[in-house]
Amino acid sequence: MTYFLFNMAATLCVPLLRNQGWLPLVQSVRHGSKAVTRHRKPLHILKQKLLAVTEYIPPARVVPPGVYPSQNKQVQEENGFALLLKKDLNKVFEECRMIAVVQRNASSAEDMLVLKHRLFKHGIRIKFFPNQVTRSFLINSVYSNMAPLFIGPTVLFVSKEPKVKEMLSALRASPQMTLLGACIDNTLLSAQGVVSYSKLPSMTIVQGELVSGFTMLTSRTASMLQRHPAHLSALLQQYIKQQSPDKDAEVVPKAEEAT
Amino acid sequence: MAAPSKSTLLLKSVKKIVVQFCPFESNVRSTREFLALVGSEKARSTNMNCEVIPVVKHDKSEPVIDVTYVDGERLVMKGGRLTCSEMLNAFQSRCKDKDPQTLAGVKK
Repeated sequence: MTYFLFNMAATLCVPLLRNQGWLPLVQSVRHGSKAVTRHRKPLHILKQKLLAVTEYIPPARVVPPGVYPSQNKQVQEENGFALLLKKDLNKVFEECRMIAVVQRNASSAEDMLVLKHRLFKHGIRIKFFPNQVTRSFLINSVYSNMAPLFIGPTVLFVSKEPKVKEMLSALRASPQMTLLGACIDNTLLSAQGVVSYSKLPSMTIVQGELVSGFTMLTSRTASMLQRHPAHLSALLQQYIKQQSPDKDAEVVPKAEEAT
Repeated sequence: MAAPSKSTLLLKSVKKIVVQFCPFESNVRSTREFLALVGSEKARSTNMNCEVIPVVKHDKSEPVIDVTYVDGERLVMKGGRLTCSEMLNAFQSRCKDKDPQTLAGVKK
């Protein structure tokens, strides 16, 4: 290419060159090597020297990197999806009285479906949330002590009514699910706590028992007073007699100790 | 999560695995991962007679994995300071040792 141009220049400008003795217009300095190669083309020695001289030397650090925590690290924005999940979690925690955390060890899809169906009959729903989202939500809320439960494959059983017995029976049927803990009525319970909670009688029964216990005492005194007063005075005298021998017995040993 | 060294867990020589831990402790992660791997469908399909029993306690005790083999040997691993992969390696090496022995014995 260059040779062709040289020839062309020579034929066109020959009279000019001959007259003024100019240098040729085209000089083929590098013959045969191209600009764009597949390998790394060796730099010209001058360029190499220039680059070597002008290399960047960073200023010496007074403090090694990583010693102080970086100040700008907390600007990470939450994923939009994570925010949505957190809102959902919030709603779940507010609505449902019972939230149980269960670890599932790879039960098949059919087992999960069967379990879901069984629990849905009692109004218990199964929810899945990613562990990271749940942990960050729990740490910021009141339920921070539940956070260490959420490691590995975990599933949430949520329900509005704490139907613990049915849940336990359903879990016993599927051996792969392990109950880790539960939060019932804003109280954190362990696995044994849940079992003992299930054995508790219902609120109405307990209230009835309390009321009957109180009324028994008052009814007894009422019945005693309603009887003939002679009977009452006889009872009281008997009571004093029982008290007084005890008092005499107490006085005698004290006298013995004194002497 | 640490992946097992072999993709299949051989449970043929194992009679019972009892995994006991307290989920509110902080050193339970490896034990729970071990339980998840051992209790998976793949592992349990190698031996349907093997029972995997998780025990959940609340007494701040150390997590313990108790493996009972068919020939009566017991392997006790305290998972408080072990990683999941270490426990799996120990468990799998012992299973492998027992398994070809039984197979070779049967063949002979």
